[in-house]
Amino acid sequence: MLTNEKRSHFRFLAIYLSSTLLLFFLATFIFYNFQRHHIIDLQNTALTEEAAKISQSLRELSTNFSSTLVYPHNPPFYSAIYNLDKEYIFGSFQAKKVLWEKEYYQQDEKLFYIHDIYPYYLGASYLVLSKEINKKPIHELVKTSLVFLILAIVLFTLLGLFLGKLFIAPMKESIETMNRFIEDTTHEFNTPISTILTNIELIETLYDCEGKKELTRIENASKTLSRLYEDLSYLKLNHNYQRDVQSVDITSLLKSRIENFKTLIEAKELDLTLKIEPNIFLDIDKNDAIRMLDNLFSNAIKYNRKKGQLRVTLNNTKLSIYDTGVGIRKEDIKLIHTRFKRANNSEGGFGIGLDIVGQIVTHYNFSFDIDSTYNQHTKVTITW
Amino acid sequence: MVKTILFLSLLFSSNILAKEASEKLQKNCMHCHIKQKIPSELIYRRYLKKYSTHSAIKKTLLSYLKNPSRKTSIMPKQFFLKFPEKEALDLNETDLSESIDAYLNYFDIRKKLVLP
Repeated sequence: MLTNEKRSHFRFLAIYLSSTLLLFFLATFIFYNFQRHHIIDLQNTALTEEAAKISQSLRELSTNFSSTLVYPHNPPFYSAIYNLDKEYIFGSFQAKKVLWEKEYYQQDEKLFYIHDIYPYYLGASYLVLSKEINKKPIHELVKTSLVFLILAIVLFTLLGLFLGKLFIAPMKESIETMNRFIEDTTHEFNTPISTILTNIELIETLYDCEGKKELTRIENASKTLSRLYEDLSYLKLNHNYQRDVQSVDITSLLKSRIENFKTLIEAKELDLTLKIEPNIFLDIDKNDAIRMLDNLFSNAIKYNRKKGQLRVTLNNTKLSIYDTGVGIRKEDIKLIHTRFKRANNSEGGFGIGLDIVGQIVTHYNFSFDIDSTYNQHTKVTITW
Repeated sequence: MVKTILFLSLLFSSNILAKEASEKLQKNCMHCHIKQKIPSELIYRRYLKKYSTHSAIKKTLLSYLKNPSRKTSIMPKQFFLKFPEKEALDLNETDLSESIDAYLNYFDIRKKLVLP
């Protein structure tokens, strides 16, 4: 899977799973609360039923004139009777604090129910019942909710993976089609470009031709095509490319690449300033270094104005290339690394140059900085 | 030591007062009730069933005993077929109040209730 595909797949999964799981958490939470209330309601119903039984017993006791009256007590229920002034009369327990304004309530892991009595048998106006909350069904409910949630997470993760692949398939197909097209096109480019360049060299060497100016233009155009071919090949092969990292003499390489661009620089009549320190070595794959330098030069020349300035600085820590070209808008600087992104369409190209530079810089843990003022200048600095 | 003496004297005096009130109850009320076989506890339960609190019962009883009549009584009509209609007691307010307190205390339901 390509990086873009992975990123899209990951984004899709992240959005899909986070929204689905959020929904499930919410649903489970609501389900849990609803069921918990139901369990508590059932236990409250048991309290109500017990209250009716006690009320009946109190009614019977009110007509009993024995020397002792046995108060009805049926564990696990505890009860107490209170008079109209809410004063305690008798009971199997005495509540710390009765919440008279409520009918049913919970306190210290216990359920309470206040039952009104009328007529006031034995003077009782209120019957307060209490019972420990039976937590077994609540624990069962927690277990069920968790199992449901885990199963939902697993099921929807698998579904997300499947759907992700399904959704990404058209994109993958498009990328593959585009890659195949680039591969075929570049392959077809190679032979004619090589033929043109070889023959130009032969003409220059063997014949004293009158149309030198026109020949230089053909050479420049062919070299541009050749670089484009190399960039596209680089991008295509980048994933399987075996790098040969070695200590490369960047000073010499830089000079040779500038020499390669000489005809283009001359064609645009650029004022070239070089501040290149000798013997600068860098651990890098030579092909990577060439691609990086060529792309930076190509951009600096291509987007420079005629008779503009081109300053190249190389020292022990960095390489910077300054041009007085079209510049890049502030809002475009962050996006300029993206493949096929072009800040300016005035010149030809596919917008892959800075993407290649970005990939190389990232691979070697260099830092890449673009300082630009629109329509004035651009300074690209690579620090290692 | 002083506290103990004070506590014991208070306990002793309250016992005396309770005994006095009980004697008043026997003399002013229970004597006739027993003689005429009037079910005092049943009357207490009936008041309790209607008024719930001793304070409310006392207020009602006080008013009734000052001016007893079938109309103001909470007892059913059948009760007066069996038992004579009560006559007004010749007691001062304090004695009447103490007698009612003693009556309520004597039949207090809390003294009878026990847990199984």
